[in-house]
Amino acid sequence: MSIRSKLRRSWPGYVFLTPWLIGFFLLSIFPILASLYLAFTDYDAVNAPVWVGLENFQYMFEFDYRFWQSLKVTFLFVVLSVPAKLIFALIVAMLLDKGIRAVGWYRALFYLPSILGGSIAVAILWRQLFNADGVINSALAVFGIQGPYWLSDPNYSLYTLVVLAIWQFGSPMLIFLAGLRAIPQDLYEAAEIDAATPSRKFFAITVPMLAPVIFFNLVLQMIEAFKSFSGAFIISGGTGAPLDSLLFFTVYLFNEAFSYFRMGYASALGWVLLIIIAAFTAIAFWTSKYWVHYENERG
Amino acid sequence: MTDATSTRLADLTAVSAQLRADRAVRAKRAALLKHVFLIAASFVMIYPLLWMVASSLKPNDEIFGQLGLTPSDPQWSNYTSGWNALPVSFTNFFWNSAVVTVLSVIGNVISCSFAAYAFARLEFSGKTIWFALMMMTLMIPYHVVLIPQYLTFLQLGWVNTYLPLVVPRFLASDAFFIFLMIQFFRQLPRELDEAAMIDGCSPFKIYWAIILPLSLPAMTTAAIFSFIWTWEDFLGPLVYLNDIKDYTVPLALRMFLSQDSVSEFGQMFAMSVLSILPIILFFVIFQRFIIRGIAMSGMK
Amino acid sequence: MSTFNRRKFLGTAAAAAGSAAILSATGNSAFAQDRRIRHFWWGNPERDKRTFEVIRLFNEKNPGIVVAGETLGSADYFTRLTTQIAGRNMADAIQMGYGVMFEYINRGAILPLDEHIGKSLDISQIDESALSAGRVDGKLYALSIGANSHVSLYNTRLFDAASITFDPFGWTYDDLKRVAGEVTKATGVFGTDDNTADYQNFSDYVHQRGERLFDDEGNFGASAETIADYFAIWADLRAAGATPPGQVSAGLVGAELSNWGIVTGQTAISYAWSNQMVGVQNLMQDKVGAAMFPNTPEMIPGSIIQPSQFICLSRDTVDAEATTTYMSAFVNDPEMTAVLGLERGIPANAQVRAALQPKLTEIEATSVAFFDGIQGKTMDLAPPPPSGAQEIEAMFERVAVAVLLEQAPIPDVANQIRREAEGIRRRAR
Repeated sequence: MSIRSKLRRSWPGYVFLTPWLIGFFLLSIFPILASLYLAFTDYDAVNAPVWVGLENFQYMFEFDYRFWQSLKVTFLFVVLSVPAKLIFALIVAMLLDKGIRAVGWYRALFYLPSILGGSIAVAILWRQLFNADGVINSALAVFGIQGPYWLSDPNYSLYTLVVLAIWQFGSPMLIFLAGLRAIPQDLYEAAEIDAATPSRKFFAITVPMLAPVIFFNLVLQMIEAFKSFSGAFIISGGTGAPLDSLLFFTVYLFNEAFSYFRMGYASALGWVLLIIIAAFTAIAFWTSKYWVHYENERG
Repeated sequence: MTDATSTRLADLTAVSAQLRADRAVRAKRAALLKHVFLIAASFVMIYPLLWMVASSLKPNDEIFGQLGLTPSDPQWSNYTSGWNALPVSFTNFFWNSAVVTVLSVIGNVISCSFAAYAFARLEFSGKTIWFALMMMTLMIPYHVVLIPQYLTFLQLGWVNTYLPLVVPRFLASDAFFIFLMIQFFRQLPRELDEAAMIDGCSPFKIYWAIILPLSLPAMTTAAIFSFIWTWEDFLGPLVYLNDIKDYTVPLALRMFLSQDSVSEFGQMFAMSVLSILPIILFFVIFQRFIIRGIAMSGMK
Repeated sequence: MSTFNRRKFLGTAAAAAGSAAILSATGNSAFAQDRRIRHFWWGNPERDKRTFEVIRLFNEKNPGIVVAGETLGSADYFTRLTTQIAGRNMADAIQMGYGVMFEYINRGAILPLDEHIGKSLDISQIDESALSAGRVDGKLYALSIGANSHVSLYNTRLFDAASITFDPFGWTYDDLKRVAGEVTKATGVFGTDDNTADYQNFSDYVHQRGERLFDDEGNFGASAETIADYFAIWADLRAAGATPPGQVSAGLVGAELSNWGIVTGQTAISYAWSNQMVGVQNLMQDKVGAAMFPNTPEMIPGSIIQPSQFICLSRDTVDAEATTTYMSAFVNDPEMTAVLGLERGIPANAQVRAALQPKLTEIEATSVAFFDGIQGKTMDLAPPPPSGAQEIEAMFERVAVAVLLEQAPIPDVANQIRREAEGIRRRAR
C-alpha cells in the first residue's frame, strides 16, 4: 500500500484521536519523560536535580532490603486480591443481572463499599472494626472465637487488607454487569431450546461473550492492585507497619518522595514498577489472543 | 383418538402441570434463597454507612470510647454546625465539587469515546504504538508524575484554577475509560459499520448514530465511575487549589482533623454522610441505563 | 479559675469576622498596587477561623499589604508544600514543625531572618529559649508560635478510683510500674500505653541516661546498652500486665491520637505533646491530668521545651519585608495574639502569655499549669538534629515493633537500630 493511500485510510482515525493526542503531547509526555530523567538523578525537590547515572538502581537492587520487601508485599497482594475480587464481582453481577425486585437499590448497596472506601471517615472505621477489641472480634467472641490481631500482627495484616480490597468489588461488578447486558439474549434463547444446563450456558455463552470485559477487568484490576496505595497507607498510618508487612510499593515510593527528600530515588522506584506492570500487562495481552475474541474481528 | 391415548395424554398433562408447579416452587425457593443471601450480604455492605451515620450523631467524646451504633443523645447539631465549621461554608464546597465533577463527566464521556472509537473501529497507521502509549499512562505510579505535572500546569499558568482538574478530562487523559469503551465497542458486530458505510455514512455518523446508542451500558458505566472518582478525588484539588474558597468537598473534609489540636470528628462524619448523598443519587438514577443491549449476535 | 468557654471565645473573635473576613483574608478586596503575600499553615476548623481573623486584623492595620491565607489539614500539608517547593511557588510565610524544619533549612528552602531584625521584625519580647530553637549556625530562621513539651496524660477518674498518689513532676519508671499496677488492680483498665516503640519517650530516656541522640558530627549517639535498657523497662511493665499485650500495642505505634489508650478507655495513661492535650480532652468524657514523662532515679532532665510550630520565611517569598512585618505582628501584636490564644501551643512572648492568662479554658489552664511545673526540670535544647533525623525516628518506630511482637531478642534489635541509623546518616550526607 502506498503511503498516500495509507494516509487517506488513516485520517478518520487520527481525527477521532486528536483530543487524546493533544492531551498526550501537551500534558502527559513531559511529566513521563521528566520522571524518567529524575530516576537517574539525586533530586530533593528543593534544589536542582543532579545526574547520578545508575546509582539509584544500583542502590535499589544491591542494598535496599525494603525495596525487595515492598515488592514481595505488592506481589502477594496482587496474586491474592485480584482473582478473588474478580470472581466475587462476577458472581454478584450475575445475581444482579436479572429477575430481582428493587435491583437498582441492591446495586447501589453493593457499590457502597467502593464509594466509601476512599473517604477519610472510613479510615477511622477500619481501626474500630479490626482493633483487637473491635467490632469484628467482639462479634466473633459471641461464637466463642478468639479473633486474631487483624492489623497489628504482621502474619494477618496483609490478609486483612486483601479482604478489604475484595470487599470493594463495586467497580468490576458494575463493568461485568454492563458486559452481561451487552450479550445478545437470542443466544440464551437458542440455548434454552437446546435444553442447555446453566453451567453449559455459562461456559459456552457467558464466558466467551464476556471475555473482552473479563480481560478488561483482569488487566485493570491487576494494574490497580500493583499501584494500590490508599488502603495500606491509611491502615498503616503511612508507614507500612507493622514490621513492613503493609509496605506496598507505592507506600514506600511515597515516603521516599515526600517524607525523605528522595524524589529522584522515588522516580527510579516508579519506573521499576512501571516496567513490572507493563511486562505483566503485555503477557495478559499476549494470552488474550487465545481466549478473547471480538465480534468485530469475526470472519 | 382412543380412550387409552386420551387418558395417557391427560396423565401427561397432569404430570407436566405437577412438574411446572414444582419448578415454580423451586424457583420461588431459589428466589427466596437469593434474597436471603443478598440481604445478608447487603448488611455487610451497608454497615460502614450505618456506622458513619451513627458517628455523625455522636458528640466528639463518645465516638472513640463507645463502639455501639446508637448515640446516647443524637447531636443533629453536628450537621448544622459542621456545615459552617470551616472558614467557608459547605455550600461553597458542594458547588465547587459539582462544577468540577459535572464538567469532568462530560469531558470524559465525550473525549474518551472519541479515542475509543478510533482504536476500536478505525484503521490507522501507528495504532499499536499509540495504544501502548495510552496504556502506559495508566501504569505509571501517580506520585512519580505529580511534581512534573505540577510544573507543567504552573508553566501554563493554570495553578490555582480548576483548569488542571477539568481540561485533561476533555483531552481523554483517563486511559481507563478509553480502554473500557474500546472493549465494549469491539463487541459490536462489524456488519453494522459495513452496512452503514455502504449507505454512505461518514465515520462520525457511524460513531454518533450506531456505536454510541448501542453502547449505552458502557457509556453509563463510564459516566458513573467518572462521577464518583472525580467527586472523591482529593490529590488533584490538594495540589492545584490554594484558595479555600475553591476547595472541593473531599479536601474540606480533611480539614476537620488535626494531630496537634482539636479535631471535630462528629462534624466531619456529618459532612461525610452528606458528601456521599450526591454519589448515591447519581448512581441510582444512572444505573438504570445499564440496560439490556439491543444488539443481535453476529454468529447466527 | 475562669470558666471562659472556648466556643464563646471563638464566638466573639471569629464569628464577628464572618465571611467578609474570609473574603479580605484571601485577598479579594485588594488593590492592584498592594503588596500581596501568602501565609500557608496546617490547621483545623478552630485554628483556621482564628488565623483568618488574625489576617483580617493585620490587613486592616497595614494598608498596602494584603496577606492571603492558605490552609490544609495536617495530613496533606507537606504533600502540597513539596510540590510547591519543586515549582518554586511556596507561600511567603510557611508553618513548620520542630524536627522537619531543619531538613528544609539545610536544603535552603527557608531564608534567614537576621537582616530584618530591628527593622520589619521585632524579637525583643521573645524568650531567648524560643529564639535559640530557631537558630542554625548562628542564624535565626524561624519564629516560635507555641511552645511544646512531652507530657504523660492520665485519666483522673481512674487515678482517683485507685487513690493514686505520685509526683507528676518527679516520678520514676518504678513509680510508673507501681501506679500502673494499682490502676489495673483497682479498675481493671490497663495502667499505661506501651511506649516501647515511641521515639519521643526513647529520646527522653537517652538524655536521662546522660547520652545524646546525635553527637557534634551528627552521628547517632544512643548506645546499644541504653536502647536495650529502654526496651527492658517496657518489657518489664508488659510482663507485669501494666500495659496491653504487645500485639495490641504494635498496632498503635505512631497511631493518631484518637486511637490512644486514654481516648479509647483501654488504658489510664497515654503519652503526648503538650499541645495535644486539648485535642485529647475533646475526645474524652473523663478529665485529663498532666505529668512529665517518668525519669530514672538519678533525675537527669530528659524532656525539652521546644517550639511546637514555627512561622518561617520561605525561599520563594516575593516580598521579604512585608512578610517579616506580618510574621512580627503574628507573634507580638496584642490583638492578633489574643485571637490566636494557646491554639498552637504556649506563646513565646511573656507579655502575650500574661494577657492570655485570664481567658483560659479548664484544659488550657491545666496545660499552662503543667508548663509552670516543668520549669527548671527540663534540659537545654539540643543542637538542631542533623539531616536524616526524621527518617531515624521512623526507622526506630518501625524496627522496635519487633520487640513488642517478640520477634527478635532485645539486644539484636538494639544493634539493628544503631546499624540502620548509621546507614541513614551516611545516605543523608
